[in-house]
Amino acid sequence: MPAVARVLPEREEAQALIARLREHLARQGDAGVQPSPGRRASRRESVPWTLGLPDLDRFLPGEGLAGTGLHDISPAAYGDFPAACGFALALAVRRLTDPREKRPVLWCRLETEQREYGHVFGHGVAAIGLPRARFLTLSLKRPLALLWTLEEALKSGCLSVVLGDVAAHTADLTATRRLALAGQAGGSAGLIVLTRYIMDSTASSSRWCIAASRSPPAASDLRAPGLPAWQVALTRIRGGRPGSWTLNWQKDHAPSRFTLVPGLSGGALHSGAAEEAGPRAAPKPALRAG
Amino acid sequence: MPPPSLPFALVERGAKGLRLAAVNAAAREFGLMRGQRLADARAAVPDLLSEAHEPEQDIASLLGLCRWMERYSPWVAPDVPDGILMEVTGIPHLFGGEAAMMAGMKARLAGYGFTARISCAATIGAAWALARYGREGEDSLQDLPVEALRINADAARTLRRLGLKTIGALTSLPRASLARRFRGESIHENVLLRLDELLGQRAEPLNAVNPETSVMAHRGFLEPVITHEGLVTVLRTLSAEVARALEAKGEGALRLILKLFRSDGGRVQVPIGLTVPSHDGGHLFRLLSPRLETLDAGFGIDAMTLEVREAGSAVARQYGFMEENTASNLAQLNDRVMNRQERAITQLAAVESHLPERSEEAQALGTPLPPAGGGGLPERPLMIFVPPQPARVIAAVPDGPPMSLTWRRVTRRILRHAGPERIAPEWWRGDTGTRPRDYYMIEDEQGRRYWIFREGLYGEDSGPPPKWFVHGLSA
Repeated sequence: MPAVARVLPEREEAQALIARLREHLARQGDAGVQPSPGRRASRRESVPWTLGLPDLDRFLPGEGLAGTGLHDISPAAYGDFPAACGFALALAVRRLTDPREKRPVLWCRLETEQREYGHVFGHGVAAIGLPRARFLTLSLKRPLALLWTLEEALKSGCLSVVLGDVAAHTADLTATRRLALAGQAGGSAGLIVLTRYIMDSTASSSRWCIAASRSPPAASDLRAPGLPAWQVALTRIRGGRPGSWTLNWQKDHAPSRFTLVPGLSGGALHSGAAEEAGPRAAPKPALRAG
Repeated sequence: MPPPSLPFALVERGAKGLRLAAVNAAAREFGLMRGQRLADARAAVPDLLSEAHEPEQDIASLLGLCRWMERYSPWVAPDVPDGILMEVTGIPHLFGGEAAMMAGMKARLAGYGFTARISCAATIGAAWALARYGREGEDSLQDLPVEALRINADAARTLRRLGLKTIGALTSLPRASLARRFRGESIHENVLLRLDELLGQRAEPLNAVNPETSVMAHRGFLEPVITHEGLVTVLRTLSAEVARALEAKGEGALRLILKLFRSDGGRVQVPIGLTVPSHDGGHLFRLLSPRLETLDAGFGIDAMTLEVREAGSAVARQYGFMEENTASNLAQLNDRVMNRQERAITQLAAVESHLPERSEEAQALGTPLPPAGGGGLPERPLMIFVPPQPARVIAAVPDGPPMSLTWRRVTRRILRHAGPERIAPEWWRGDTGTRPRDYYMIEDEQGRRYWIFREGLYGEDSGPPPKWFVHGLSA
């Protein structure tokens, strides 16, 4: 017994020592002993994962989207899959605005979707605002192999956001629950782009439905397509309120963020407008999800 | 395969027609031998059965037998075309002595249908000579014919002409005078070198099938293990053992092979590869353990061996106080995905080329990305088709902007367009065609965006009319 009795205090002492050292290091940094820029950034306050638009962020839970959870994004119709992918990437870019988040983003593609909609093009990904150095990709043949890979990637803890094209018929409650748990284990966010909208429930903490929308004309050329525009419906969110809007993606803005489409933002298209007008009405229970 | 009682021969195509490459015992009784012409053999034995000789299959079968012989010694080498060399130093006592071991081998091989001649000697040359030319129960080299020296037929003929018919006759001559007499290159190469090797005056290496492994771990079981849990437990100890040995040497495994010896004599091999040398026992275990799930364990596993086939230097890295080991975790994730799904995680590197399909390439994880070129490109799509997909487009004027797009049987009215952006083929490559492309980024009534191009120009004198393609989709 003396051996055990000696070990236990030692461990406590060691933990106390580590805590003191951490405190000491933190004070050293504050005193300005030329900390490296990386260090300084890593100690910055964590920024919540939001859409970057206060009118919309009211609909999200107070701490923003869950950075360790699963979120699913479905296209509203067959041809809207690229729009859904664009929106998913935009969300991933919003996640990286957190200065403490230094890990890369992985997009797992499915070969059938690559044949249907094309291979991911790095120039286009960079145009949405995701730097090449932080973007990784992988293509898989079978939908089940993709689920396995997504789970491993989420669990590994070395990725900030893991995107994946998930075949709609494989995204049942069990599969999405597994992914959500894996995300919590690894501290990563999963963004799955379903191949079509499914009515069945999933274990995601937020569900989005995306359709392409006609863009406002570009500033330089009235005939040219302008900023990417999407009709975004937030159909389910844990701890927040559902809603729908037509959004632009401000990709040249730093940090990139969503904006409401000017011509449509005052209209009835987004349900948030009614609440905006009055003093914050209590959300109706029917709309509450969680 | 005909029954052994019928005369049978394998034939090969020689310079002057078909010749016998090998004959079975029944054919030999009729006086047939290898090297004989098939026509002559047929004249002597009209009902001789024959088949084409396939040397590759002989070698494959020989290698298979080599692997089987690993039950006696890990150091086995094929001696093409018909022999197997084996290093048995320190082994015979495990099988009850040399004589008992050789008798056992012979009996087991006979059980598989092989007729074997086995001998054991101090050098490769001596063992070779005794196995092929020795008489049963004798191990004297002196009386063996000179052919037993592994020399070619020309050299043997020269020696016989000089009256040197046995190895004993050759060794009784002073070596200096032999060297002086046989100065000719072919004879020297053949005779003196082989004689030295036979007598052990010159070392001869044995190139084993199994490369020399620096690190391996082995477990034999008292009883065959059949359960998955049992195998997983053993695998965990094996990987930990290998990892410790690697770490002590400052190395990491790049290629490993897990061998499972089944109780019915079969063997299952599980090879795995790593992208970054690693001596993390847990990582090795996670790579190997999923492969046990789909394993055919037969009637049980008798023993397991984990061998490192290739290692690289991997200094044990200590991570900083507050730093996270993202890079090494990513490499481990990549290893797991590669070994299970045979796909690698890649990063997309920009390439200096105007052709969209060539302006990017997938790169292995961890290689530094080239700096992004220029920028200022017109808008590029999020996804790109390889190859571009044909479409039909209607434009107001031939060279003008597109008005409607028909692609995958659906016609879309085009409301907005940006372009054209003309991209000329890279003529210095020669394989990209010679027609310039005009790219447009278009948006239809629903706001979906397509990146389309017209290949060729209107008003060209030669070539077919211009064609339209959809090259990408944008968000």
